[in-house]
Amino acid sequence: MVSTLSTPRTTTTLNRVRALLLITAGALGLGMLGGTAQLGPLALETVLEVLVGWSFVACGTFIWAHRPANRLGPLMTTVGMLWLLGRTMTLVPSAVVYTAGLWLTDLWAAGFALFLLSFPSGRLASRADRAIVGIFLFVTVPLEFLWLLFLAPENGLNALGLAADPNAARVIDRIQRVLISLGAVLLVISLGRRWLRSSGPVRRQMAPVLVGAVAILLQSASWIFLSSGTSLEPLDDLIFVAQIAIPIAVLSVMLRARMARAGVADLVVELGRTPTPARLRDALANALGDPTLQVAYWGPAQDRFVDAAGEAVELPEDGTGQAVTMLERNGVREAAIIHDAILLEQPGLIASVAGAMRLAVENDRLTAEVEAQLQEVRASRARIVEAGDRERRRVERDLHDGAQQRLISLSLELRVARSALGDNGDPAVRRSLDRAAEEAKAALAELRDLALGIHPLILTEGGLGEAVESLADRTSVDILVDVGPERFSPAVEGAAYFVISEALANVTKYARATKATVRVRGLDDHLSIEVDDDGIGGADPRAGSGLRGLADRLAALDGTIAIVSPTGGGTRISAQIPTIQPTPDPVSAL
Amino acid sequence: MNTILIIDDDPRFRTQARDVLEADGFVVIGQAVDGASGLEAAQSLRPDFVLLDIGLPDVDGFEVARALALDRSAPLVVLTSSRDARAYGRRLTNGDCLGFIPKEQVSGASIRALVDRG
Repeated sequence: MVSTLSTPRTTTTLNRVRALLLITAGALGLGMLGGTAQLGPLALETVLEVLVGWSFVACGTFIWAHRPANRLGPLMTTVGMLWLLGRTMTLVPSAVVYTAGLWLTDLWAAGFALFLLSFPSGRLASRADRAIVGIFLFVTVPLEFLWLLFLAPENGLNALGLAADPNAARVIDRIQRVLISLGAVLLVISLGRRWLRSSGPVRRQMAPVLVGAVAILLQSASWIFLSSGTSLEPLDDLIFVAQIAIPIAVLSVMLRARMARAGVADLVVELGRTPTPARLRDALANALGDPTLQVAYWGPAQDRFVDAAGEAVELPEDGTGQAVTMLERNGVREAAIIHDAILLEQPGLIASVAGAMRLAVENDRLTAEVEAQLQEVRASRARIVEAGDRERRRVERDLHDGAQQRLISLSLELRVARSALGDNGDPAVRRSLDRAAEEAKAALAELRDLALGIHPLILTEGGLGEAVESLADRTSVDILVDVGPERFSPAVEGAAYFVISEALANVTKYARATKATVRVRGLDDHLSIEVDDDGIGGADPRAGSGLRGLADRLAALDGTIAIVSPTGGGTRISAQIPTIQPTPDPVSAL
Repeated sequence: MNTILIIDDDPRFRTQARDVLEADGFVVIGQAVDGASGLEAAQSLRPDFVLLDIGLPDVDGFEVARALALDRSAPLVVLTSSRDARAYGRRLTNGDCLGFIPKEQVSGASIRALVDRG
């Protein structure tokens, strides 16, 4: 049964039918009271009997009016009418009417069993339940017919008594009582299992029908005792009271939208913390007290509902005792909660739980969106670093191809001119040429320094090992270089080189060290860089803007840098750079 | 001992180098524009020295130096480049060449200085 939490609709015809039934029931009840009053003082038993019938009819019609889609309403009303009709008809001295009354009175037991088992959806949940009702029907229809066939009642009013045989009648009666007892036991077992499988709100809601099942069991027990000659009248009265109370309790269950507020509040808190699909299902099942609860998500790609693992989920059909609450967003279905049908009778509860689940689903969706955006940001950062490196390489090449070549050519021309002048030329001209040559040499040196600072060619062509060795050769401090020949992506090698370059620059400028070590290791998924020196330490990680700038560049590659520099104890700079980087979009090399 | 072969793909440098070297007493007996023709020229001309550009179009200058060193009467190889020694690091000291001189410092004197040093 699929419910979308709709409001009850009533039609005028049904209203009239219900009104008619109520009036009939009232009349029958009064008839019962009046009829038995004629025979003697009004017994408590008769009053209770009337009240049972009225309770079923009144509550049944009310439920029928407010939950028109649920068969339980008309079922309860019918049960009540059977009860009243049967008993009233046995007061009438006509054979046909009396016989019919007897039959209806006994048929009531099957109706009652059907009512208990089809609570709260109005339909039988399983084949087992159908079999149990089948047992009751077998007893109250064919066996009853047989019994009536052989029955010879004291008042001689049996219209069906065509083969009067008190012994046969007694035997069949006995069989009927045993079978009813069996049915009652099975009924208690079936409802008991349902009760044991659930907890919290579902158990509370099932209480009335459990009581009803126990009542039938006791009643059949008392019948067995009766046939052995013992009377259990106080038990009968008690059973009547229970039978009056049951419809009222069922009515209150059906109509009360009592929310397990504490349960739902806990649910919202828990879902806020742990929105993973498995925990979501458990949290919902806990809050609703329904261990059979399932959560299914609409998979637009597969065009069906799937569970958290992607396996297809079949929505339960009518009559299985399960119901489905759909969650929709803007008219598009998103998810479904499959739960025990009894929970439909508390639409407020379902609504608040659905609300909590919506929060969790929204949370999941937002988390996924944020994750996707983070990925985009990482990829874009990598693209920026890559673009920066490409640009630097281009500038270095341009400097080399352009300005450097010109300065080299200029220097050589000056040398040729100097040679041509020889030792005999004008000394002023000679000096001028010498000075020009010095200028050109200085300019070339500066240009080459600049190019090296922008991007050292040896790094691109020879890798980290050669580049660091070249750095070390130019440093005045004694440096041990421990770098393997492995190559890494240009972005990673660039970042590593500049970390080491900056670190060595600091060693030369501030550390007053005698020796230093540069160690680079390519591990599974990252590059590890360590630069140690034996200098004075005391480096403030926040102060050097060179190292801080490096931190940004490393962060763009998801790398980290740390400085340990106790005063007087040397300095160690360690950096880690992941070697598995998000791939930037392929762009044609310049 | 003063014959020299110049292997470089830049014609302007070849001209300027020749002028400087001849002013310093060297005799430029040949010029080649790439590694392949350079090796052939070295075979046939048998120069005393080879001035070899590292950045040749067809092959790495270091490879040409290695090939030249295999010859029985190997010439003395002077590597040169528009870049300075820092661009090449320890590859310059692998033994196949006499030494390295950046292009703007090429002269008869600087080559003889390498010979004296080595």
